Amino acid sequence: MLRKKRCVAMLLAGGQGTRLGVLTRQMAKPAVPYGGKYRIIDFPLSNCSNSGIDVVGVLTQFQPLELNAYIASGAPWDLDLVDGGVFVLPPYHTGKTGEWYKGTANAIYQNLAFISQYNPDYVLILSGDHIYKMDYAAMIAHHESHNADATIAVRQVPWDEASRFGIMNTDADDNIIEFEEKPKNPKSNNASMGVYVFTWEKLRKYLIDDENNPESSNDFGKNIIPAMLGDGQRMVAYSFNGYWKDVGTIESLWEANMDLLEDVPEIDLHDKKFRIYARTPGLPPQYLSADVKVSNCLVTEGCRIMGEIDHSVLSSGAVVEKGAQVLDSVIMPGAVIKAGAVVRRAIVAENAVVSENACVGEETGLIAVVGQGAVVPEGGCVKAGEQLA
Amino acid sequence: MKNIMGMIYTGERDHQLRDLTTERAVAAVPVGARYRLIDFVLSSMVGSGMRNVGVIAQRNYNSLMDHLGSGKEWDLHGKRSGLVILPPFLTQDNVGVYAGFLDALRSNLHYLRRSKERYVVISDTHMLYTARFDDFVAAHEASGADITLMYTRDKGVRRNGAGRYIQVEEDGKVTGLEIDPSIPRMPYTYMECFCVRRELLINLVDTAVSRGQYHLTRDLLMNGIYQGTLDVRGFENTGKVWHIDSVQAYFECSMDLLKDDVRADVFPDDRPVLTKLKDEMPTKYVKGCQVKNSLIADGCIVEGTVENSILFRGVHVEKGAVVKNSIIMQDGLIQKGAELQHCILDKQATVREGQAVIGPRSYPVVIAKDQIV
Repeated sequence: MLRKKRCVAMLLAGGQGTRLGVLTRQMAKPAVPYGGKYRIIDFPLSNCSNSGIDVVGVLTQFQPLELNAYIASGAPWDLDLVDGGVFVLPPYHTGKTGEWYKGTANAIYQNLAFISQYNPDYVLILSGDHIYKMDYAAMIAHHESHNADATIAVRQVPWDEASRFGIMNTDADDNIIEFEEKPKNPKSNNASMGVYVFTWEKLRKYLIDDENNPESSNDFGKNIIPAMLGDGQRMVAYSFNGYWKDVGTIESLWEANMDLLEDVPEIDLHDKKFRIYARTPGLPPQYLSADVKVSNCLVTEGCRIMGEIDHSVLSSGAVVEKGAQVLDSVIMPGAVIKAGAVVRRAIVAENAVVSENACVGEETGLIAVVGQGAVVPEGGCVKAGEQLA
Repeated sequence: MKNIMGMIYTGERDHQLRDLTTERAVAAVPVGARYRLIDFVLSSMVGSGMRNVGVIAQRNYNSLMDHLGSGKEWDLHGKRSGLVILPPFLTQDNVGVYAGFLDALRSNLHYLRRSKERYVVISDTHMLYTARFDDFVAAHEASGADITLMYTRDKGVRRNGAGRYIQVEEDGKVTGLEIDPSIPRMPYTYMECFCVRRELLINLVDTAVSRGQYHLTRDLLMNGIYQGTLDVRGFENTGKVWHIDSVQAYFECSMDLLKDDVRADVFPDDRPVLTKLKDEMPTKYVKGCQVKNSLIADGCIVEGTVENSILFRGVHVEKGAVVKNSIIMQDGLIQKGAELQHCILDKQATVREGQAVIGPRSYPVVIAKDQIV
């Protein structure tokens, strides 16, 4: 028996991320690079670390190689512990039975034994799809003080977007009285962030009941939450007002990167008291040559910049040669932009090469993407909205 | 390469580094925008496959301890071996301060005895260099020498009145050694890094100390060479080497790092130079900034002008501030309109709005840690 924990976090990292196109062809969505030196999963993991949660199960399923290697011992997030730590939990076969994770609820159901080891009071359910800084400890305190069975983090979204989200209708005391998945005529604009705190005993009961229901699609939003509401369990909303961005599409991932270039970004990554941690490759400092033109950019260690960069995010080890131009773009780790190339409104993925005099993206229109390790040939062109694998 | 252990001596002779070493050992002097001097030799050792490294601390080793921690960043936090910090200690046999390198080794004979590796590579920390110690030890093993000294032909590290110089014959034999000559007569500079079989070292140290000898180079090496009791050979390090023994030398070394070929040599792709991590976000270059030929760490905010300079992590150069030919260490703040030329700002120093500090090219101004100008 392991030592009892107050809260165990379970991070759903199994999404295929198909809307990210070529970016998720070789890696799971949570492993996608963001903001120069981070990956999406650094945000929930760092949030856990900063919130004093020291047992984190990461549920993986698709293309887990890069994600597993990235998480490894959990040391960058201070999650390499004797008593707890981070655990990668893929689906497994027990001899007689075994199957892929059928849905978000089923993924947790298949790992009930993992959670039981710690006999926690609460279980925190997270996803690996969002960029945000959140103190989960405050949410758990909210859950406790409301004596809730489940607490759902919500944030107010613009009314015209509310029909794209799961909407929580609450009373004056934050009690959730109704849940509507993507309603046509939303009654409120409190959208679920996909961050849940459950009282462990309740969660276990509902996961087992759900598994025994052959009609269920084994999903938190579609099945577990409505079932608990239907039974009159105590469900409360927890309002979150900070920066929160879904980075599930090419456009939103690009926008989230551009958000960091605002004069005062809504998400503060400089904050020493709430650091976002990342695994870093140990590269030398960034070097900007005598020929460089730089304006409103984020540049990371290992970069070598000899050309012009404007309103862009340049990740670890990226190279921009003399005479190359990078505008309004995201250059992921190790990518090389060669002399005379022009990259604008684009995402150039890890270790991709944009050869001499090639062009990627256009001044307007959709974001162009060069996939991981892809090579844009000399003089070649990737137009707005195109993806090169 | 399980058969090599490393020892690093973080010693004395730091008086010419002025304010940079009042509160820290030379080994802990920040260099190259995100490193400390010791990172280069330590990372070379790790890159050469060493998994057991002892760091001999002498005085003011507080910031060194803080920097090295458990050795995690260098993968030296193993169960069977890893990073061992060896400060002087007081017992019936020890006086609480090392009388010299040899005395330090004697005090730590227990560590040498309980280590299992066949060879030891021992290096001082006055020199900034990277080395392939696996090749070094392979050459030592092949030659059958008792001790192999690493040397450089680089004339830039030679100093009148300070330094150790050696004569190396064509067959690699070291036939001469001189210490701190007023005019160096021997052609090559000994880098104060040598390789020896661990058991032979234990024997040599024990013998020397029992005869009242405390100076490793003068007593042990010199006697061995001139009396012919030891087969001492040389091994050339063909990479870049700097002797960091003065503020000027420190400044020159830093400025050399702005050259592409120098960085390619010092930061080999296959053997990263590792250091303590700070998890700073990427550096922000604000609209209107001017940056030329500079080496910059993460976590900086650059609003003003930075030319031919080195910025460590967390430096903020405000709007209208000008930093030229300078080194700004961690968390330095250059306020609006301030101007710096030929300066070295130690950690957490501030230059207030509109102030100008312009040092002569040959004698960079050092602004001590935490100072406000």
